[in-house]
Amino acid sequence: MTTDRTTTTTTRTNPLTLTRSTILGGLLGGIATAAGIALTATSGWLIVRASERPQILLLLTAIVGVRTFGLARPVFRYWERLVSHDGSLRDLAERRAATYAALVPLTPARLGRRRRSDVLNGIVDDLTDVVEASVRVTVPVFSAAVAGIIAAIVTVLFNPGVGAVLAAMLVACALLFVLSWRLECAAQDDLLAARAEVTRVSTLVADHAGDLQAIGGQADALSWVWQADARVRTATSRQSRGRALTAALLLVITGVATIAAAYLAQRSGSHIAIVAMLTLIPVATGEALGVLTEATRALARAQGSARRLDAMLDQTPAVADPAATPGLIAAHPDGHDLALADVTASWDGTGDHLPPTSLDLSAGDRIAVVGPNGSGKSTLLAVLVRHLDPTAGRYALGGADTARIPLAQARAAFALVDDEPHIFATSVRNNLRLADATQAGDTAIRDALTAAGLAMWLDGLDEGLDTRLGAGGRGVSGGERARLAVARAVLSDRPVVALDEPTAHLDTTTARAVLADVLTATAGRTVVMVTHHHADREGFDRTLELSSTESGRAE
Amino acid sequence: MHRSEWVGRHPRPTRSIITTPTIPDQKARVNPFDPRLLRTVPGARRPVLLLGVLGVLQGVATVATAFALTAVVVAAVRQTDLREPSAWLLGLFLVRAVIAWSSERIQAWAGTRVATALREQLLATWLQRDADSRPDRARALTLATQGAASVEPYIAKYLPALLAAAVVPPLAIITLFVVDWPSAIVVILTVPLLPLFAALIGVTTRDDTRTRWQTLSDLAGHFLDVVRGLPTLVSYGRGERQVATIREVSDKHRLATMRTLRLAFLSSAALELLASLSVAIVAVLTGLRLTHGTMELGAGLVAILLAPEAYWPIRRVGAEFHSAADGAEALEDILTELEAATDAATDAAGDRDDRDSPADLIARDVTYAYPGTATPVLRNVSLTATRGLTALTGPSGIGKSTLLEILAGIRRPTSGATERGGETHLVSQRPFLGAGSVRANLTLGTTATDAAVAAAVAQVGLTDVIDALGGLDAPLGDDGFGVSAGQRARLVLARALLSDAPIVLLDEPTAHLDPESAALVHRIITDLARERTVVAVTHRTDLMDLADQRVDLGAEVVAR
Repeated sequence: MTTDRTTTTTTRTNPLTLTRSTILGGLLGGIATAAGIALTATSGWLIVRASERPQILLLLTAIVGVRTFGLARPVFRYWERLVSHDGSLRDLAERRAATYAALVPLTPARLGRRRRSDVLNGIVDDLTDVVEASVRVTVPVFSAAVAGIIAAIVTVLFNPGVGAVLAAMLVACALLFVLSWRLECAAQDDLLAARAEVTRVSTLVADHAGDLQAIGGQADALSWVWQADARVRTATSRQSRGRALTAALLLVITGVATIAAAYLAQRSGSHIAIVAMLTLIPVATGEALGVLTEATRALARAQGSARRLDAMLDQTPAVADPAATPGLIAAHPDGHDLALADVTASWDGTGDHLPPTSLDLSAGDRIAVVGPNGSGKSTLLAVLVRHLDPTAGRYALGGADTARIPLAQARAAFALVDDEPHIFATSVRNNLRLADATQAGDTAIRDALTAAGLAMWLDGLDEGLDTRLGAGGRGVSGGERARLAVARAVLSDRPVVALDEPTAHLDTTTARAVLADVLTATAGRTVVMVTHHHADREGFDRTLELSSTESGRAE
Repeated sequence: MHRSEWVGRHPRPTRSIITTPTIPDQKARVNPFDPRLLRTVPGARRPVLLLGVLGVLQGVATVATAFALTAVVVAAVRQTDLREPSAWLLGLFLVRAVIAWSSERIQAWAGTRVATALREQLLATWLQRDADSRPDRARALTLATQGAASVEPYIAKYLPALLAAAVVPPLAIITLFVVDWPSAIVVILTVPLLPLFAALIGVTTRDDTRTRWQTLSDLAGHFLDVVRGLPTLVSYGRGERQVATIREVSDKHRLATMRTLRLAFLSSAALELLASLSVAIVAVLTGLRLTHGTMELGAGLVAILLAPEAYWPIRRVGAEFHSAADGAEALEDILTELEAATDAATDAAGDRDDRDSPADLIARDVTYAYPGTATPVLRNVSLTATRGLTALTGPSGIGKSTLLEILAGIRRPTSGATERGGETHLVSQRPFLGAGSVRANLTLGTTATDAAVAAAVAQVGLTDVIDALGGLDAPLGDDGFGVSAGQRARLVLARALLSDAPIVLLDEPTAHLDPESAALVHRIITDLARERTVVAVTHRTDLMDLADQRVDLGAEVVAR
């Protein structure tokens, strides 16, 4: 996949698209809704006409009408739902593939440096929200409009005055919809920020319950949760004003329209059954417009999601692929010595996240990169594995300038083990094989697992390499997860193993055991490990200590 | 860049209607309302009560509207004065508007109120429990974030629908009985068909849906799985290859979902049809009786306006079930977790024990094995520490850190007992520094004044460093400035100084420090040990030499 890096394309995700299925769905839904209105109206007509005690035959038309409309409503509703949901699912498939393709060149540097899995979950949820807007907003609003217009037109045929009342009712509801949508939108960002804060605080407290107990910080921790929760309550309550306004004013509008219709109908001189029908139509229409309440919320939500997706996908990739740069003569590495000369780097182009750094690594070297938060350890690693372009300086891989090595080729030298390795919902075998282009056999896979310290674990699996892991499969502990990532690196046979805080989420005992296995498993390869635990550097040949750029002090 | 918006984006509280359809059979398996909620979570009582009151008000107002509307129609038809019935109708619509406004607001409020109460109670109990009685990380995070959040739509949307279904149909039927009993009979005979019909559909489709369920959820989860694994796939050069797979799987997912949805829509269409036909029967019968003159127009109108009210609330429960399915399941999990917590808390109560001297710390025959492991890391360890410095030594991996956690009460010994004279303060090897500012981190667990904080910072020799960072308000930790290992060791020691705990436990306080920093930290520790009981795990001989007592775990544990 090639990306044109010279122009930044502006993605505009639009949750409200009119497609064949939303139009058809809207029309079908409109007919279903109109049938509902007609059911009430004809029932009213039937009752009042019957009270005049006519011959039964004269009532038959109305009886057939009541039955037809009673049947039509569920049938058309069913049809509408099939059409609109099928359309949404088609749309979802398209957008998912497109979004994924757009995300590939942005991964991982543009996904944020922390809590990447939250960002990725967010993308999936936002995409669903955007696509769902067709079912939750476009089709219901379109249906309500169609039904309202049909009701107004039919009413005009009986009585232009009441028809005008209905038209006014529709206009008022449209204005109301816009007003409450704005109210929902206004609170949307605030609510999202408040919810994100709750997630952050709950995660922090749940993750560190023991650490907080250790220092008697339980009460403080709970007060953070209370504060975050209180903010969510305020924001939710503020946001619900939009919905509440729609729900309440819709009833007021219905009430006023009904009374207006009653007065006009009374004076119309029409047949009394028509008078009853005209009086009941606004009530039935008001009920049909009730879907607007929920639609405002879904719309605000979908638009917020669309905005976030656009902001994410509009980013420029953090690495330029030399293979895609016209006119550049490709260079090819000879061996895999790494040489950084005065390299600096920045994640967002606004600051230097890595101060000028020089580093020479010969094949087989093992180096621990330590330093406090913010000193540029992970930035250095991202530059090394070609996830991030240097802003200045020279980086050579196997003697060739990385700015001229095709990206895929340069990256193929590195096996990366980070602090959030993903275990896919598939067999143990497939989980490891993805790391190996040659599609290794079971023996190689078993060897890799053994090297990573998972021999016993593998023996304990009922179905061996066929055991399903991940979501819906066998649970994997933090230590096992880290070891599986190490096993992937081992299996990949890539000459340089880069580890980014691989034990960050493990307890001290497990972390030590995993690290010891990492060092044995990767014997003979170049190993670069980033850590902020000084204890972890035992077993490495060298230590590169980066000092915090902000505090300016190193020890 | 809007990256900050993404970080920690709240998990989606409602199950998607297009990607995760609810199958009819599922409804039968979920408990509509778990009474444990009211028993276990006091914070949920008021919201649920308020929702109940609103449900009743709404029901009464709906029934009253049918009468007022009838009066308006009758007046319009009979050419009588419209003013009085209109005033009634308008008044009722206004009352309903107020109720609708309040219910939207109260539903939103109740949803978050209950969800936050559950989250707070969960976190509070975990903060009370020892490490081995807490759920594992993944489960804990799911319950406290996504789990609690999914309860929100359950309370805000499903519960009101459930209450409406419990209140409105009986109210409508009773009123109908009074106004026009034959119509009431029709309704009474047909309303039970709704749940019966739903159950029948559930039973006939059960096997079919169960076999498909796993496939469907696999397909539904595929995209999330590959997106979450995107960094892994990209790093092994397999990102682009997934695009075609995604298109293919999404298409299979669409077909499988549509099969399930068709069934779900068909069942709801069948129920709607049943309701429509029943209302039509009422209308036609009413019409016939009117033509025979055996009925009043007003009664007939009330009958056809009230009859639908007996059916739709029941159908709405089914429709709203979708937004509630995950919430109902999460609620059950959370309540089970909370009730387990109550048991564990009463269990552990015997452990804490005030001694004669507030500084005494005793371990008697403590044996400890990690949950799920057979071999204990600690076996019959006994230790008594009083005011002064106790050095805890022994080779790596012998369980020194674990013993400190047991002494601090964070872990419960498998057998044996601990006695603590007072509060403990444990400085672990990976101390918590995620509270935000320097001040917030240092005053965690204390009520120290700024002056006291400044004094403690000075005592550990960090005044210049903190000033350079920007003072006590400077952010620290994950999202703030970095501090070096030596600075961190002194910072957390300052926090220990600030704490009121008479017992301070230190896990390798000077490992990886240069000799100069270590000497400073050792001085502070010996100062601290003059007033408090200090137990320090260390490999450093200079610190061991300063100790009043030395406990060698390597010597204590003979056979391993």
